Amino acid sequence: MEAVTQLYYRYFPEKVLGEVLTKRWSDNFVPAFAALLVIGVFLVRDPAFFNLASLTETSRQLAEFSIVVVAMGIVLLAGGLDLSVGSVFALANITALICMNLLGWPVWATVCATLAIGALCGAVNGFLIGYLRIRAFLTTLVTLIIIRSIVDIILLHYAVQISAVFPDSELWYFIGEGTVLGFPVSFLVALVIIAAWHVCLTRARFGWHLSAVGGGRRSAYNAGLNVKRTVFLTYVWSGVLAATAGLFFAARLGSAGSDTGVGLEIAALTAAVLGGNSLGGGRGSVMKSILGAIVVLILTDSMVRVGISGGISSAILGGVLLLVVAIDVRWLKNRHKILNKVYVSPSYFRLPEMPETAAGSDSPYALNDRLRSVELIGKGEIEGPEDVIFDRADNLYCPNRHGDIVRFLAPDYRDWEIFAHIGGHPLGMAFDRDDNLNVCVGGMGLYRISPDRRVEKLTDETNRTFLSVIDDSRLKLADDLDIAPDGRIFFSEATIRYDMHDWAYDALESRGNGRLICYDPRDRSTRTILRDLQFPNGVCMAGDGQSFFFAETWGCRINRYWFDGPNKGRCETVVPNLPGYPDNINRASDGNFWVALVGMRSPALDLALRRPGLRKRMATRVARDEWLFPNINTGCVLKFSADGEVLESYWDLGGVNHPMVTSMREHKGHLYLGGLYNDRIGRLKLPDADPEWASQDFYWGRSNGGR
Amino acid sequence: MGVAEFLKDTVDSFLGGRGKSSITVPVMDGPLQPNDALEHAAVAIEVPGIDNLIARGDGLLVSSGNRVLRVADGQAKVELEFPSEVMSMAVRGDGVLAVGLDGVGLLLCGADGNQKKVEQIDDIRLTCPTAMTFDAAGALHVCNGSATTGARDWPRDLLEIGRSGAVVRMDPETGSGAVLATGLAYPSGICITGTGDVVVSEAWRHRLVRLSSGAAGEPVPVLEDLPAYPGRIARSSAGGYWLAAFAVRSQLQEFVLREHSYRRQMMAEVSPEYWIAPALSSGHSFMEPLQAGGVIRLGIHKPWAPTRSYGLVVELDGDFVPLASAHSRAGGRHHGVTSLVETDGQLLVTAKGAGRLLTLQTNAFRHSLGKAGRRTAP
Repeated sequence: MEAVTQLYYRYFPEKVLGEVLTKRWSDNFVPAFAALLVIGVFLVRDPAFFNLASLTETSRQLAEFSIVVVAMGIVLLAGGLDLSVGSVFALANITALICMNLLGWPVWATVCATLAIGALCGAVNGFLIGYLRIRAFLTTLVTLIIIRSIVDIILLHYAVQISAVFPDSELWYFIGEGTVLGFPVSFLVALVIIAAWHVCLTRARFGWHLSAVGGGRRSAYNAGLNVKRTVFLTYVWSGVLAATAGLFFAARLGSAGSDTGVGLEIAALTAAVLGGNSLGGGRGSVMKSILGAIVVLILTDSMVRVGISGGISSAILGGVLLLVVAIDVRWLKNRHKILNKVYVSPSYFRLPEMPETAAGSDSPYALNDRLRSVELIGKGEIEGPEDVIFDRADNLYCPNRHGDIVRFLAPDYRDWEIFAHIGGHPLGMAFDRDDNLNVCVGGMGLYRISPDRRVEKLTDETNRTFLSVIDDSRLKLADDLDIAPDGRIFFSEATIRYDMHDWAYDALESRGNGRLICYDPRDRSTRTILRDLQFPNGVCMAGDGQSFFFAETWGCRINRYWFDGPNKGRCETVVPNLPGYPDNINRASDGNFWVALVGMRSPALDLALRRPGLRKRMATRVARDEWLFPNINTGCVLKFSADGEVLESYWDLGGVNHPMVTSMREHKGHLYLGGLYNDRIGRLKLPDADPEWASQDFYWGRSNGGR
Repeated sequence: MGVAEFLKDTVDSFLGGRGKSSITVPVMDGPLQPNDALEHAAVAIEVPGIDNLIARGDGLLVSSGNRVLRVADGQAKVELEFPSEVMSMAVRGDGVLAVGLDGVGLLLCGADGNQKKVEQIDDIRLTCPTAMTFDAAGALHVCNGSATTGARDWPRDLLEIGRSGAVVRMDPETGSGAVLATGLAYPSGICITGTGDVVVSEAWRHRLVRLSSGAAGEPVPVLEDLPAYPGRIARSSAGGYWLAAFAVRSQLQEFVLREHSYRRQMMAEVSPEYWIAPALSSGHSFMEPLQAGGVIRLGIHKPWAPTRSYGLVVELDGDFVPLASAHSRAGGRHHGVTSLVETDGQLLVTAKGAGRLLTLQTNAFRHSLGKAGRRTAP
């Protein structure tokens, strides 16, 4: 049974489901499915529908209709509604026919006049709604009626004359009936319009303003956008686009029927909402509109072919509108709930039997009280010193959770000052050859602080993984770093699926969501060197200039990775199966390495790691504060040799003095302890250590880089 | 179970926790609003493993491990010693002492020194005597927590979803008796009301029930939906009752109780002190399960944190409506309250988790806690 679980979680990409749902384009799945379904049904029922002549004719209709739906989509996106599109369409039709047939204007003048009429209608709507703040529904309902009446009056006077004359223009007929490379002209023009609006809405300033206004008028106003003008412009564009569609209709049929564009607004609204444009504004795209247009057009066409009368087909369309509006409302309301349920996706992970830790046993992990005599630095004055480090003048640096780097002044570390402010939550730190302080900042990336306190961003992005669903190019949780002798900075990113403060979710997943990244200052490039690591954390150069150690926290192991030399690219586990969760790694004065265990394993949790389904249900049903959790109230410091032998351990049994250890740094005969959730820094005298040894001098040499 | 009910439960479990699958735990509110009264209670005496406290004419008797000690003047002297752990005690006006031994049964010690062993009443073997009391007529009422596990292994019975508890009544003179109720979910406390009814704490169902006077008939709940596992009950001088709750419920616990295969595997592979199960005291080893809220931040263990062990004493009125409570919260010491006795305006409480006998002033108890929490009965 466990083997089946293991196989399922190894090969079934359950996490992708959640990742897809975080994407806005996942809204398109339902309309796309509906479109395919409708097309599929028709393919089976009525193959004649798909012959070339029929398709050409359909594509002309589709072009006109989808332009109108795009117009509707734009207005919806900005939080409005335009019911007058059908009337504007009819008015544009009659205007174009009058210009061509009665006045005998050239085509370009006709086009200009028609579009101008459309823009004018839209401007009236836009002025009333945008500037006078009248309700969109009422306003456009009224303009719908008024424009329709105008059309009827014109028809009363000129209908006969229009039908009696045929314009003498090849271009006009080409617009209506011509093809280019087999595609109808109107279809190609529609494609251009669609592409232009897609770019505008997704990439251009105006499109972003539309989304912002639709998403929240007040916020958009506070952000400094001209809300009134933006709303006004959406109606103008809506009028222009509806007029464009009317122009094509006029060129195609040349008929001045009184039922032109009747009910078009309902069809367009149905299509727009069916495609997934939200009625409330703020969510929508051109692609959504097009998908909706395809479904509605095929639906109405099919009803005509099947022989359903106009009244009933309208009723069906209304029913569809009602249905999709209901779905739209429910989806908007519940989308984040579904996402919450499916995004967290625990994986199968089996740890070996936990090593002995009992006090008095001969295990190197045997419990003891060696950390009990820790002295405290800055107790109650510092919040969240994840790491500690020393400069050449013995000053102590640590980050805090407010995004500062705090400097405790030598020699007694009683006074402190804020050395620099970065933001985010600074975590691991390392000095480079020129005494710049390099810092991994959770939520921001890799930063550098010069000795004169200048903060500089080194990198906050790396190459995006091919075919990754979520955008993993940004650094979400840069954790710890060390610097190779040639200046390259190797750092870990603990997880790409969660933000800094949601690391507990990553613990729940226990999947390899993290990676190692290399920043090369010589060409300022950043690239990912190792992926799919279980919360990679501490990084420390092994001392041979070719490799470094790194800890995988949830994997309870320490690995060594060779970035240079004959073994380049090799990664092997040097300390497997730790009794706890390793965090930062640093050099010791005797040539060995220190590693902090941030928390300890518990048997009940180890067992739960073999049951992903259990953890998934726990994530959805149990409140977060009640979750079973890695025990990070107890920790210890271990010393291990370069060949992976654990030599000794330092414990504080009750955790009274120093509840959590995320890092430690040896400096001149003392061991200094940092902890992510602590309000203090610990300092422990190491009786056997070299009292003159300092990591910075040891690694970079005593001279100050030639300065 | 009917087909409809089975279908409903199945649907509920798939829909993520409705009906029986719900893992909601009532919040401590109203009269149960948390405070630190129990944590700050005065320590009368420290006795490791202190468990059942009873009042005898000449002083207090308290059990601890295999022994029964007499507490007087701040001293505890061994009075009796038994071959097995003492799980419960009761004393009658004429000096007859009844002692429940884990895995063995009852031992009736007369004032003259005679001892009589009772192992079985009808088909109920009294291997898990969790609580007992004498009624006005001198008959002994005994709670047998579980038919399968001993009283020391109570977390196992919880995780096995034990429903095999029973309550019996026996005549100490003849040793004969009758079964009052079976199928109880770990009866762990008992008292006789003023009207002679028997009220029992049913721990795993988080309620107090009144046993109907006839042998047949379902127990009637008198207090339900407790956020804790109720234990022993004692009469109060105000005409009500004191209830000791030996542990509190948690969402995670309720969740695990519904995850049957994990629950079984945990019992099979993990040693009992590290189970996801309530305990009388906690924080002894890092291998105990920790819940997210229990993480120490900036040196502070949040008192609201979910915890394996807790100290809770509840005052009930004569109708078993909660009036006030005293707590020792997460991170505190006075956890695992197993029994209590009121004498001379003082409430004596045994915190087995801490191995301490605590003293609460009942006046202060009502005064200080009443304002915060007291609510009139509906």
